[in-house]
Amino acid sequence: MVKAVRGVLVECEPAIKSILVHIDSTHHHEFIIEDLDDTHLFVKEAMLQVLKSKLEERLRETYRPDEPLEDSE
Amino acid sequence: MPPKRKAAPGQGNATKAGRASAMSTPGPATPRSLDSSMMSDGDDDFDEDVTEAQREREALLSREADDFVNKFTFKGKRLQGQDDEPAGGGRRADAATRLFKKRDFSYLPLKPDHQNRPLWIDPDSCTVVLERFNPLAEQATDFLITIAEPKSRPTFLHEYALTPHSLYAAVSVGLRPRDIINTLERFLKTSLPDVVRRKIEDHTKSFGKVKLVLKHNKYFVESVDAEVLQTLLKDQVIGSLRVHGSGDITTSYAPTMGGLVIPGTQNAAGVHQANLRQAEKKPGEGGDASNEADLFTALNEEDDDDDKEAVHAFEISDADVETVQKRCLDIGFPILEEYDFRNDDVNPNLEIDLRPNTQIRPYQEKSLSKMFGNGRAKSGIIVLPCGAGKTLVGITAACTIKKGVIVLCTSSMSVVQWRQEFLKWSNINPDDVAIFTAESKQKFSGSTGIIVTTYSMVTNSRERSHDSKKMMDFLRGREWGLMLLDEVHVVPAEMFRRVISSIKSHSKLGLTATLLREDDKISHLNFLIGPKLYEANWMELSQQGHIAKVQCAEVWCPMPTEFYDEYLRANARMRRTLYAMNPRKFQACQYLINYHEARGDKIIVFSDELYSLKQYALKLKKVFIYGGTSQNERMQVLENFQHNPEVNTLFLSKIGDTSLDLPEATCLIQISSHFGSRRQEAQRLGRILRAKRRNDEGFNAFFYSLVSKDTQEMYYSSKRQAFLVDQGYAFKVITQLANIEKTPDLAFATPLESRELLQRTLVDNERGGEDDVETDDLFGKPGRGAGGRGGGRKAGNGVRRTAGMLSELAGGQDMAYIEQNKAANKALKGKGKKGAGGDGQSKFFKGLQREKEKSRARG
Repeated sequence: MVKAVRGVLVECEPAIKSILVHIDSTHHHEFIIEDLDDTHLFVKEAMLQVLKSKLEERLRETYRPDEPLEDSE
Repeated sequence: MPPKRKAAPGQGNATKAGRASAMSTPGPATPRSLDSSMMSDGDDDFDEDVTEAQREREALLSREADDFVNKFTFKGKRLQGQDDEPAGGGRRADAATRLFKKRDFSYLPLKPDHQNRPLWIDPDSCTVVLERFNPLAEQATDFLITIAEPKSRPTFLHEYALTPHSLYAAVSVGLRPRDIINTLERFLKTSLPDVVRRKIEDHTKSFGKVKLVLKHNKYFVESVDAEVLQTLLKDQVIGSLRVHGSGDITTSYAPTMGGLVIPGTQNAAGVHQANLRQAEKKPGEGGDASNEADLFTALNEEDDDDDKEAVHAFEISDADVETVQKRCLDIGFPILEEYDFRNDDVNPNLEIDLRPNTQIRPYQEKSLSKMFGNGRAKSGIIVLPCGAGKTLVGITAACTIKKGVIVLCTSSMSVVQWRQEFLKWSNINPDDVAIFTAESKQKFSGSTGIIVTTYSMVTNSRERSHDSKKMMDFLRGREWGLMLLDEVHVVPAEMFRRVISSIKSHSKLGLTATLLREDDKISHLNFLIGPKLYEANWMELSQQGHIAKVQCAEVWCPMPTEFYDEYLRANARMRRTLYAMNPRKFQACQYLINYHEARGDKIIVFSDELYSLKQYALKLKKVFIYGGTSQNERMQVLENFQHNPEVNTLFLSKIGDTSLDLPEATCLIQISSHFGSRRQEAQRLGRILRAKRRNDEGFNAFFYSLVSKDTQEMYYSSKRQAFLVDQGYAFKVITQLANIEKTPDLAFATPLESRELLQRTLVDNERGGEDDVETDDLFGKPGRGAGGRGGGRKAGNGVRRTAGMLSELAGGQDMAYIEQNKAANKALKGKGKKGAGGDGQSKFFKGLQREKEKSRARG
């Protein structure tokens, strides 16, 4: 019995791919169908929007991290 | 970060009507910003230079915009501002109006000759924008420095903010609200908005009205305005603290600069020889006379009348000074501290003068003339970039006051430096400069002198040794003419309070390069020490050759996928290690070192991360110093770096950030840093500003910041640069170093090697990377021996009994195979010993070793 899943090919920078894989692994692998190579991923079409928003969230964290204020010596 | 655009003040109309110059219109924006298309009409005629400048400004403004929102000191009221709206000006909406939103200042009418005036003003935030290319810019700059705080000073447009503190400082150097408003009015392209006028009046009304003066060793509260004094006396707290019996309010004449000569200035020498103690000498004759003179022309005329103005004073007792100070602040009359040192006959004079051949630089002179503006010493802070001669400013101040001086610095290393500087620049008797540190507790021989000590020695409240206790009593028991506070920005306010309360000094002078802290405690200093008296312009100094010209660059290093995967999983601590250990960064570092060593540069590499510092230094076979390096080794390494042509690169941990004086260094590479600390960035840059070769034709110093892409480092890095960008430094971004792959012996060139590095990094840091290298040293030799034996085993194939460690069986000793990376520090040491002629010694040890081997062979 063959089961077909609709998917989308995602092309991105290696760093973004790493983040996507990391998101996938922390969410029970519900996004990625196949990890193709350094810059390509095959992602479930239904989950694409969710993945996008998660990625955005993650990027915001990267560029605005919490920062300890201590600055004394 | 997408740039947030902020319109320059008054720009609404200016786009159409007031194109004073290309600069005043919002120019071609960076491609990312939305409104660029709207503004780009008519930009075609801009030449390359202009666009460059525009972009620079654009970037600045976008960053500033955030600041503006967050920290308005003045809460502007739009409605008030609109009162100014003239009949003729009218509001005219054009295509661009909506883009300015709340920052549309088109209601401010432009003066007909606005092209000739250099200033714009934003009435909401009280920010003044100065056109540097305007012919009047020089004078306007001098004026603005006095009344406002420089916020950002790139090449063409400077931004200044009027803050309560800056106005307070302006008043403290003798400017009056009337003067400020008139001069502003003269320079502004628009008329001065009422809001701003009111603010200036509000904030200057009470500031500087009351002065605390130490005269004949009695504290007087002094004011030009008898009414103010009456108000104070009627106040129940202050009134009761007045010393009676000294008569009522005394009246005398306001002091002038008359007769005071700051030593080291151009004609101080002449005055000296003639031995005349008179002759009113305006500070800054010679080179910068024009600036100073121009600026105050208008004001001076009025000053002359002031000289005859009477001042009124009443006496308070020493013990109540602080209470009175506090109370005055509460009721809105902050007290200025002044020291009338020429009329102080109680404290003995100190025999000190600058050496005749010492010439102080124009900006140093300017800063000091702010301090001694009216012939008395004011307390305050002077801000000069690293390497611009802060020490000399301090010494000159001491030579002017000629009383007992106490110098506080941050480390015992700089204590020694300060003493040497004193001996170098002034003719003081070496016995009169004493040092008070944990190691040495001297006192000066005469009745007065100079004591150099550290903050921690003075504030240490724990058990002291008998000696230092006696020393402290000595310090407490006297009155000091001047307290010099080196690197004031580092000291927490609490510590200051303790210093200031325990040691009595008539005036305080704080010196620093970076008057900023991430925790915003700087404002405390203003009240503890005094206002900011002077802040130098870095760019100007480097153009004049007082500090080196620096090229700044940010190198973006991509993270290899394995590293990035690991980075995503790691905790905060490990992340920092990982982005410092990024093999691409390593390669970039190696490449830059090779490149600059070939050019003959001396390179300092900074890393906050201890683990990566050691790894880099070991792998690249360079010398390094960190907190754990012994004093002897440090001296040896530093000396080699300075004089040995073969040691051109030095790795430093953050202990090297401040007060390490290495004029040889001409290139600086930063591989990891303390989060977003702007101060650290500026201090590190300071290490190369005093480069010896700075006056060579076309010489540039280089500052590289290596950043791992897609990590938090990018964010921190942009934050760190804020201060330097404000000083006018432009950071180039380098995304690709040309021909990096052709570097011989490129580290971690293959994916396999970089994976090994990753594994090692992870393992090392899991078991606590700190003591790792230490153990490496200890077990280095046995490890290598084991390796040799291991080879033998393979060949022999038989069972053999060997002594070894358990870790060896587990493969733990395998690390030792990479032991080619011996610390370069040790190589130096070996060489040093041989050079020192320790031949006999080494022979002796050789003998011992031979003996040992023999006995082993026998056994």
